[in-house]
Amino acid sequence: MDSAIIGTWLAALLTLGIMSFLYKDNLYYKICEAIFIGISAGLWFITYFWDSLYRIAWIGVVHEGRYVLLGGVVLGVMMLMRLFGKIGWIARWPLAFIVGATAGLKMMVYFTTNAMAQIHGTVNDTMAAFGGSGLYDVVGRIVILIGTVTGLVYFYFSKEHKGLFGGVAKVGTWFLMITFGASFGYTVMSRMSLLLGRIDFLLTDWLKLVK
Amino acid sequence: MLALLRIAKLVVFISSSLFVISLLPTHSVHSQDASPSGSNLGPITVRAHDTDNDAGGSVTVEWDDPGYEKMSGFAGFLIWRTNTLTGTSDSVEVTPFGTHSYDDRSVSDDSTYSYLVAALVNSERVMSAPSMQVRSAKQWFDSRLTWVLILGLIICGAVIYFIESAKRGTKLFLRRIAGLEAIDEAVGRATEMGRPILFVAGIQDMDDVQTIAGLTILGSIARTVAEYDTKINMPVRASLVMTAARETIKHAYVTAGRPDAYNDDMVHYVTDEQFGFVAAVDGIMVRERPAACFFLGAFFAESLIMAETGNSIGAIQVAGTAMPAQLPFFVAACDYTLIGEELFAASAYLSGEPRQLGSLKGADVGKAIAMIVILVGVIATTIASAWNSESMLWIENLLRKMFSTG
Amino acid sequence: MKKFLPWIILVALIIVVALLPKPLEISPTVSVIVTVLLGLALTGVLVMTMRGHLIGRRTVFLFIGASLTLPFFMNFQMPIKVAPEVQELYDAIAKLPPGSKVLAAFDYDPPSAPELQPQAEAFMAYAFKHDLKVIIMGLWPQGPQQADMAIQKVLQQPAIRAKNIKYGVDYVNLGFQSGNEFVIQRMGSSFRGMFPRDIYNTDCDKIPILNGVDNFSNIDFVFNLSSGYPGTVEWVQIAVDRYGVKLGAGNTAVQAPSVYPYLSSHKLTGLAGGMSGAWQFEQATGEPGVASTYVLPQTFSHMVVIGFIIIGNVALFVGYRKSRQEGV
Repeated sequence: MDSAIIGTWLAALLTLGIMSFLYKDNLYYKICEAIFIGISAGLWFITYFWDSLYRIAWIGVVHEGRYVLLGGVVLGVMMLMRLFGKIGWIARWPLAFIVGATAGLKMMVYFTTNAMAQIHGTVNDTMAAFGGSGLYDVVGRIVILIGTVTGLVYFYFSKEHKGLFGGVAKVGTWFLMITFGASFGYTVMSRMSLLLGRIDFLLTDWLKLVK
Repeated sequence: MLALLRIAKLVVFISSSLFVISLLPTHSVHSQDASPSGSNLGPITVRAHDTDNDAGGSVTVEWDDPGYEKMSGFAGFLIWRTNTLTGTSDSVEVTPFGTHSYDDRSVSDDSTYSYLVAALVNSERVMSAPSMQVRSAKQWFDSRLTWVLILGLIICGAVIYFIESAKRGTKLFLRRIAGLEAIDEAVGRATEMGRPILFVAGIQDMDDVQTIAGLTILGSIARTVAEYDTKINMPVRASLVMTAARETIKHAYVTAGRPDAYNDDMVHYVTDEQFGFVAAVDGIMVRERPAACFFLGAFFAESLIMAETGNSIGAIQVAGTAMPAQLPFFVAACDYTLIGEELFAASAYLSGEPRQLGSLKGADVGKAIAMIVILVGVIATTIASAWNSESMLWIENLLRKMFSTG
Repeated sequence: MKKFLPWIILVALIIVVALLPKPLEISPTVSVIVTVLLGLALTGVLVMTMRGHLIGRRTVFLFIGASLTLPFFMNFQMPIKVAPEVQELYDAIAKLPPGSKVLAAFDYDPPSAPELQPQAEAFMAYAFKHDLKVIIMGLWPQGPQQADMAIQKVLQQPAIRAKNIKYGVDYVNLGFQSGNEFVIQRMGSSFRGMFPRDIYNTDCDKIPILNGVDNFSNIDFVFNLSSGYPGTVEWVQIAVDRYGVKLGAGNTAVQAPSVYPYLSSHKLTGLAGGMSGAWQFEQATGEPGVASTYVLPQTFSHMVVIGFIIIGNVALFVGYRKSRQEGV
């Protein structure tokens, strides 16, 4: 029997097994779930072994002579000290390095791109709106302005949400909820797309009901 | 007759010679300062300097066009580079119409270069005089980001100030976070029903600040769980989170005077695969039927799957994440949601740790600056464009310059 | 009998499917009848809800399943209108002259393939047809493999087969590199520092397409397909902001809303979001693919979801009324 046919049937049966959870939890689903978890754990292990450990630690250091990578290898070994009770404290150093390095990189990156550039964009866009670029644009940009400011007020923790400040924060909450609704709609599309992909596979590749 | 034939031959010879001569290309090499025949244009002036605010390896070439672009037959400017150390020359680029500068990014910091710019007009090249010799170099400070530095220092300064104030014992005011009461209620309900609590600290690793916030709240929940002898089940996706979470829960049990009740299996690694992890969490929910589910950390597409399954088993669910794309699902499917920064505020509130409290207050300073700048900027722009006010225009330009990121 | 009902239904379904002609296509008339029946069924559910008979979750699943499955057999053609952000993405790619070097970052895995794989195939087909040189890499382990699958599919097209596309000359796959945004940061100064060899372990110095490609300044455009972290957000924050790279992206629908602020602040040059972005991108590039066949089922499912949102809200208000009547 062709291995492609076996693979297709296996994939189809596993798909249906996972989908059977929609009816209720059952042995068929449990078997498929266990297979999925086991294979995914194994796949990640193999990927990290070959793409990170082998490629960097062995090929990079030993064959290509990039000794700077030894630093990373040493930190990785230190992390494994977690498994040994008495010297487990050694693992805190590489952890501190990872947290610190990521914080250092992300701090300015988030500050410039997510804070300053967005403030620049909000002020800029509203400038264009008042330059007379059409009623739709003007209303849109005013909405963005109100949403941005009231949203910031909602997330301001140094003042109790009472009185006028509380009222503005309430408007911010409404903006947030409307945004969540729009985002939810986008995600419904995403979920349907993923299900569509699976149904397409079942109908086209497995059952051959669709060309 | 013979004379006529000779004259005819001569005429044919002369006319065909003239015809052949007319077909010859009229390309000629001009001296450096000469212009295409028929024009009185001056020379092209070329300036070359090290490109500002870069990491080296780049020279900026600029030139003034005395009018070659307006001539018919203009095809562009050819940039010619000479490495003065090795003596080699090559053409670098032909720039299109309207361009009077070029960043040559294929130079070495170890050499000096000289540039010539030639206007290409009707297949003639009008060369400029060579520029001064220039060497590229890296700059240690990007001057375009000066305001980023200043504002960064202001906000970091505010954070440090508030952290130090908190360390000295100053009470820092934080508004009430309504979700914290829901956390206590959820733990209480699980204890009453004698069913376990499920805690998921997100699917990211320890380098994500949301995971750290989730683990801080875990510490507070674990203390309550230890006191009431409720079971806690915490599946994790990353091994580092597993070790950190085990430490957190163990510390909580020790603090509550119940070290014997702690078990390493309370926190268990499942898989790195995103949907494999959520399949396992769903399985735990459906089989163990926890009374309370906590989803506090960074989540991605699996959030709705977990929240919906928890909803279907009737568990009380409290979620918190700073991932904007996942908040809608938690808001829809959970009993209470800590939205965005409320997760960090809850973490700071529960831990009372000066660093977390101070950071939150410092971030509030940043938010206040953002609100003021946006409002002032909009008002200034409106007045500037409506009434041509110079002072408002100055404010607008200042704000634009301050918040430009390069 | 009730215990065996699911098994009986399953066996009946298997028999029906086995007996159906393959491939199955229903006529436009039958398609319209099926659509009307689906609408009537939804209306029936609405009426039942208004009368206080709430339906179970399994009924909702059945409706969703039907709305996604039945349109595969229908023969309606839905018009596709290209959104401004997708047009902007296409225009940026179309402006690239032949021979331009494009870095394609494949930052997704098989679960996101239904939305992103069609975009990958459309992009690769366009790139090969217009002589763009593509350098592939990924911050997700399975990303480069997804790229390879897209390329193998696209190379089967007769127009592209005729162009005699060569690995190493027209495209190269540098593979996956761990390190998330640190990889992008490092690539800003040196590609070789992160990718000394390609996915087949060939020295990058020996690959013709990589001659003269040292860092982002030698790249004309970056096209990122992303479904999470690390992804488009990190590419914008580091590659665009620090190195001035021109970046266009295709995202899953879950991620797209969080990336829109970058579009409006002009950090991102075009965005194809989700399945709708995929079929619009196929339309814009003139490379119709599998996403274009998903338009009808997607539309049907959205109508059913909207119907159930209305039904759910009706159920909520009926519940309020009932509890008020009972004095709770």
